[in-house]
Amino acid sequence: MEIVVCVKPVPEAESRLRANASGTAPDTDGVKFVLAGYDESAVEQALLLRQAVPGSKVHAVSLGPPSRTDEVLRAALALGSDSATAAESDAPPMADPIATARGLATAIAARGPCDLLLFGKQAGDDEEGLVGGATAEALGLPFVGFVVDLRFDAAASRLRFRRSVERGEESWESPLPLAVGLQQAWNDPRTATLPAILRSRKAPLARHAAGPGAAVAAASVAERFALPPPRQGAKMIAYRDPQQAASQLVRLLREEAKVFP
Amino acid sequence: MVDFSLSPEAESLRDLARKFARTEMAPHAAECDRTPRFPEEIYRKAHALGLMNLNVPSEYGGSGLGLFDQCLIVEELAYACAGMTTSIIANCLALEPILLGGTPEQRSRFLSPFCASYQLASFCLTEPSGGSDAGALRTRARRDGDAYVLDGEKCFITNAPHAGLYTVFATVDPTLRHRGVTAFVVPRSAEGITPGKDEEKMGHRASSTSTVRFDKVRVPVSDRLLADGEGFGLAMRTLDQTRTPIGALATGIGQAALDHAARYALKRETFGKPIAEHQAIQIKLANMTQAVRAARLLTWQAAWTIDRGEKGTLESSVAKCFASDAALLVADEAIQTFGGYGYMKEYPVEKLLRDAKLTQIYEGANEIQRTVIARELLRGYA
Ligand SMILES: Cc1cc2nc3c(=O)[nH]c(=O)nc-3n(C[C@H](O)[C@H](O)[C@H](O)COP(=O)(O)OP(=O)(O)OC[C@H]3O[C@@H](n4cnc5c(N)ncnc54)[C@H](O)[C@@H]3O)c2cc1C
Repeated sequence: MEIVVCVKPVPEAESRLRANASGTAPDTDGVKFVLAGYDESAVEQALLLRQAVPGSKVHAVSLGPPSRTDEVLRAALALGSDSATAAESDAPPMADPIATARGLATAIAARGPCDLLLFGKQAGDDEEGLVGGATAEALGLPFVGFVVDLRFDAAASRLRFRRSVERGEESWESPLPLAVGLQQAWNDPRTATLPAILRSRKAPLARHAAGPGAAVAAASVAERFALPPPRQGAKMIAYRDPQQAASQLVRLLREEAKVFP
Repeated sequence: MVDFSLSPEAESLRDLARKFARTEMAPHAAECDRTPRFPEEIYRKAHALGLMNLNVPSEYGGSGLGLFDQCLIVEELAYACAGMTTSIIANCLALEPILLGGTPEQRSRFLSPFCASYQLASFCLTEPSGGSDAGALRTRARRDGDAYVLDGEKCFITNAPHAGLYTVFATVDPTLRHRGVTAFVVPRSAEGITPGKDEEKMGHRASSTSTVRFDKVRVPVSDRLLADGEGFGLAMRTLDQTRTPIGALATGIGQAALDHAARYALKRETFGKPIAEHQAIQIKLANMTQAVRAARLLTWQAAWTIDRGEKGTLESSVAKCFASDAALLVADEAIQTFGGYGYMKEYPVEKLLRDAKLTQIYEGANEIQRTVIARELLRGYA
């Protein structure tokens, strides 16, 4: 089974984002882009499937300029991906999801066969969760989202999985090829070992221009990017004595927040 | 042109160590210090990730890192817990003599099976009668046919009760002083080895330290490193390699102390404002920042010098000595910044002071480092 996992470079969780000079996108200067948790889970799922289905291969694909994609692809290689492909694009981070999907689809098609296309639940930065479905559409693949517990039934040559839905779960099976969006991190992604990290530094990265798909005018253009205003009204209770702090908290909840009479 | 930026590869190694330190080590640091406890499950995980035998080339199953990359990793680990770090990097110290002095046959015979699974090794140089004067060893190695018989006692040996392999320095003739010192590789399974009980220590309490007795331990000649009398030079060349990571370990302690102090200073209010706004505290934080950054740069420079193939004796002594003194100073000032809370075990900074103290003592006490620095310095003026 040829498994392709799309991995998105997202700003490191601790980074302090600012708007760029034109106020339309985050300023990426000095920001470190990493493989985010949801996508780590997707890579983990791919590796588990590869282990279960002999002869399978895992291919990581990421879209963006090399300054953002390469570290993320190397992280996917260090975790165990067999190959890594950069869909080169100079789109800003958190760009239009349809343009991203077209760019990814071009690179995925150019890379080679794909039986299963995996996506994390959503990106760790804009949390839109749109690229998976749109990429599947661009490649003409059926798409199922919110999937957990993906298994391959070799005898029937079908994927079996469950899907979280409101108030319950559905059990599904499907032939390949298929695109799957995973439910949030339900597996426990492995940590890349030091030797694997060193090997990943020397592995080649395949590169495909993400165009012309991505070059097609994006369906949406960001007009303004701004940080939310700093939160107001939070009050810290500095304390030494927990009892005194608790009574102060109760007084504030009663008199200022008026949570209870 | 000198360049202080990290390569993407170095960054990814540092990130691995940082993640391991913060998720696997830090949550257990206080408990292992208090109890004390030797958290072997953490050391096993460190081994599984390749964070243990950092200096051993990959052909023997180690990580094959240069000193600079080792230092990046050690600083991150020590940031979370210096004691655990001492136990994790003790293998590097114990295996270095085999790397430097072993024949290719000895290297693959000892290192490959050792590194293949989780195992600890101990470096046995110090004796109850003295550590600094390593030429005055009393542990005897008497030749008997195609073997040596070791007799004597070592003390303050890191990981000794848990180790599967010991590198032991003994003398074939005490009257020869350092020219009699000879090095051996001894498996724990050899008859006559008795590690003592864990010492109660001031700091590094997640690490284990004990005596080791050798009673008529037979070691085949094939397990001797180099020739009779070449052990002293081998020990010194080993310490030339491993001193610099102690600078990194001390830097990690210092950085942790600085981070705690700066965060606390922004939160704690006296006289109507955060103590970070009192100039006396600002001066402390500024001095601590200088000390930690200088410690890191001296450590980097020593590692870089040695990675270039130079001996780096002066550089590594300067780095170890400065960084350990800096760690003590910074931990002390962090406690002062915390005031009374800093003195309480409930807060993390008093541990840092206790941990920092050891870095001035082991792997060559700072008095000895200063002797070395002066000697190397004056050589250039003579
Ligand atoms: C927790 C811990 C772990 C250790 N782990 C190991 C290990 O794994 N393997 C190992 O072999 N050793 C280990 N050691 C031993 C350590 O390296 C020695 O303690 C150190 O070398 C000092 O030796 P000493 O304690 O005998 O002090 P001494 O040599 O007796 O020195 C006492 C004092 O005199 C000073 N001094 C000595 N000679 C001179 C001189 N010529 N000029 C000026 N001042 C001098 C010293 O600096 C020191 O301040 C460890 C020690 C500790 C505490």
